[in-house]
Amino acid sequence: MKVDLKDPAWRQTLPPSRSAASDAPVAACAFNRDGSTVAFALGDGRVRLLPADIKAAEAPAAEPAHKGVVLSLVGDPAGDGFVSGGDDGRLLRIGLDGAATEIANQKGRWIEHMVAHRASGALAASAGKMALVVKGDTVREFGPHQSTVADLDFAKDGGRIACAHYGGVTVWSLGEATVAPRSFKWSGSHVALKWSTDGKFLATGTQENDIHVWRLAQATDMRMQGYPAKVKSLSWSADARWLYTSSQPLFTAWSFAGKGPEGKPPLQFGDEGAGLMTVVAAHPAAEFVVGGYDSGELQLGDIKSKRSVVLKMSDNSAITCLAWSADGFKIAAGNEKGDLLVIDLRR
Amino acid sequence: MAQAQVPVTVLTGYLGAGKTTLLNRILSEQHGKKYAVIVNEFGELGVDNDLVVNADEEVFEMNNGCICCTVRGDLIRIIEGLMKRKDKFDGILVETTGLADPGPVAQTFFTDDDVKARTRLDAIVTVVDARHFLGQLEQGSEAEEQVAFADVILLNKTDLASEDELKKVEDKITSINRYARIHRTQKSKIELDAILDKGAFDLKRILEFEPDFLHHGHDHDHGEEVASLSFSSDRPVDPDKFQKWMGALLQLRGQDILRSKGILAIDGAPKRYVYQGVHMMMDADWGTPWKAGEKRSSKLVFIGRNLDGENLKRGFEECLK
Repeated sequence: MKVDLKDPAWRQTLPPSRSAASDAPVAACAFNRDGSTVAFALGDGRVRLLPADIKAAEAPAAEPAHKGVVLSLVGDPAGDGFVSGGDDGRLLRIGLDGAATEIANQKGRWIEHMVAHRASGALAASAGKMALVVKGDTVREFGPHQSTVADLDFAKDGGRIACAHYGGVTVWSLGEATVAPRSFKWSGSHVALKWSTDGKFLATGTQENDIHVWRLAQATDMRMQGYPAKVKSLSWSADARWLYTSSQPLFTAWSFAGKGPEGKPPLQFGDEGAGLMTVVAAHPAAEFVVGGYDSGELQLGDIKSKRSVVLKMSDNSAITCLAWSADGFKIAAGNEKGDLLVIDLRR
Repeated sequence: MAQAQVPVTVLTGYLGAGKTTLLNRILSEQHGKKYAVIVNEFGELGVDNDLVVNADEEVFEMNNGCICCTVRGDLIRIIEGLMKRKDKFDGILVETTGLADPGPVAQTFFTDDDVKARTRLDAIVTVVDARHFLGQLEQGSEAEEQVAFADVILLNKTDLASEDELKKVEDKITSINRYARIHRTQKSKIELDAILDKGAFDLKRILEFEPDFLHHGHDHDHGEEVASLSFSSDRPVDPDKFQKWMGALLQLRGQDILRSKGILAIDGAPKRYVYQGVHMMMDADWGTPWKAGEKRSSKLVFIGRNLDGENLKRGFEECLK
C-alpha cells in the first residue's frame, strides 16, 4: 500500500468513503472473511450489511436479528458472513443475504464480546461468567469465572483463549487434553483485553484507568498509569512491537521491542485537539494505526513518520468501533449516533 | 453526543418486604413511561419485559487501598450496554437483594465516569416490612443500613400491623434516618411520583428541616446504632474550607458515615451548592439559583454510626465565613 502521510493530498482532502445512517448506536463493526462486505452491530437489533466497495449499490437494511441490542460482531471465521451476539442471549450466524441462524441461546445472559480466529475457524464469545468457544457445530463452555467475562481474546495460534474478569485474566487451553487454566492475577476489575500478536503478552485496561501487562513466559507483570479515563480499547501492532491504547488525546504506543516499556514513557504522536481517543485499531500488516475520538474525528497515524491525518471530521458523536479489512486498504467505523462509515485508503 | 442523564432509582429492602411487588407494579401500570429494570439474578419477576436485565451483584474493591470503596462492576457494564439501545427510557430501576449493603450500588454512581456521564442517582427507595422490621434489626446490620441509606421509605404491609406497632416502627426508622420520607403502604401500592424522579437524592427533603442555628438534630449518643445529625447556618460557607474539611472527614470517618448530604450557600455564588457523599466518596455540583430576597441558609446532614456531634459541629462552623 502506498500511503504517504507527508503527501499534501492527505492533508488537503479526505479519502473516498461511503456513509449510511442508521439512527441506532453502533456497538461493533467487522469485515467478512473475503473483505467484500462490512457489517455493523446496531442498537435496534439489526446487523446492517454494506458492500465494502464504496461505489457498489447498497443492499436494503434487513429485519432486526436480535430482540434488543446487537452487542458483538465478528466476520465469520468459518464462513462468508458474520456472527453476532446480543443482549437477548443469542449467538447468530448472519449470511450475506441477511438471513440469521442461531448457534447458541443463553437466555438471560448478554453475549457482549466476541473474537474470531481465522486460521482455525473458531470464535469465542462471552456469556455472563462463561466463555463460549464455537468451532464447526460444537459449542464448548469455559468457566465460570469469578465475575462476568469483561473481554476475551485468542492466542496467536488459536490454541488458547484469555478471559478478563475481576482479579485478573484466566487462560484456557482449547486442546482435547484437559489442562488446568492458568491465572494471571491483579486485583480490581479488568475491562478490556488483548493478547499480543506474537503471543508473548497479555494486556488489559482496568477500572482504575491503568494498563496492566503480563509476560506469559515469566509470569511477571507491569502497570502503566496516567490515563484520564478507562482504557477500553487496546491494539497491538502487527509486528507486536507496539501496544496502542485509547483514552489519550494523541496516538499512544508502548514499546515492546527490546527490553519492553518499563521505565519509559509511551511514544505519542498525532494532532491534538480532537478530544479523547475512544477506539484504536492497528493496521493488520503495516506501520499504520487508526484512532477514533469522542468528538467523532477519525485520524490515520503512521508510527514511522509520527504523523497523522484526518480521515473524518468531528461531528460530536463519539466513535464507538473501528475495523480494518484484512488487506489493509479499508477502514470501517461506527459512532454513537448511528452513522456507518467505510473508508477506502486507495485514493 | 450530549445525552440527558437518565435518573436511576435504587430499590432496597429486606427479604420479603415487597420489592418485587413494587417492581411488578411499576412495570405493569399504565403510566406512559419506560423503565429499564435491573433485577438480581434470584429475583422472580412476573412481568415479561425486554427491558428487564438480570444482574449478578458483582461487587469489587477499588484498587486504591480503601476498603470501603466497593462498587458494582456489573452495574457499570449493564448501564453501558443499556445506553447502546436505540430506544431510550425514562429511568432505570436497580433492585438489590434483600441482604445487600446499599453502599456499593450507591458508590458505583460516584465512581465511574461513564456511569456518571449518563445517569444520575435519583433516589434510594427502601421497602420496610412493617411487621418484621424490628425483628430484622436483630438479625444483622442489613435492615438498619437499608433504612440509613434511604431517601424514601415504603412502610409496607401496614395491614398486617396494629397502629401501635406501626408507630413503633416509624419511631425506629426516624431514629436511624430522620430525613427519609416515609409512606405507609399496603401491597407496595404507591403513586409512582412519590418514588421515581425525585431529583438529586431527594435533597428537597433536607430543606424542609428547619433546625435552629447550628443545632444538631440529635441529643444522645447512639454509639454503634445508626443515627442522623443535621446542621444549618445562615452564614455563607467558604467552599475551599468545606471541601478540605469534608474530604479529610470522609477519609478518616467514611466507613462510619454512611450518607452525607448538604445544600450550601457559598459566599457570593448565585446558585446553591449541592453536595452528597456515600461513605468516602463525595460529589458536588451547582444546583438551582437562589431567588431574589430568599434567605440563604446552608444545611448539612450526616447519617451513620458513632457520629460525634460536637466535633462535626465545630468542623462545619470553621467552614463558615
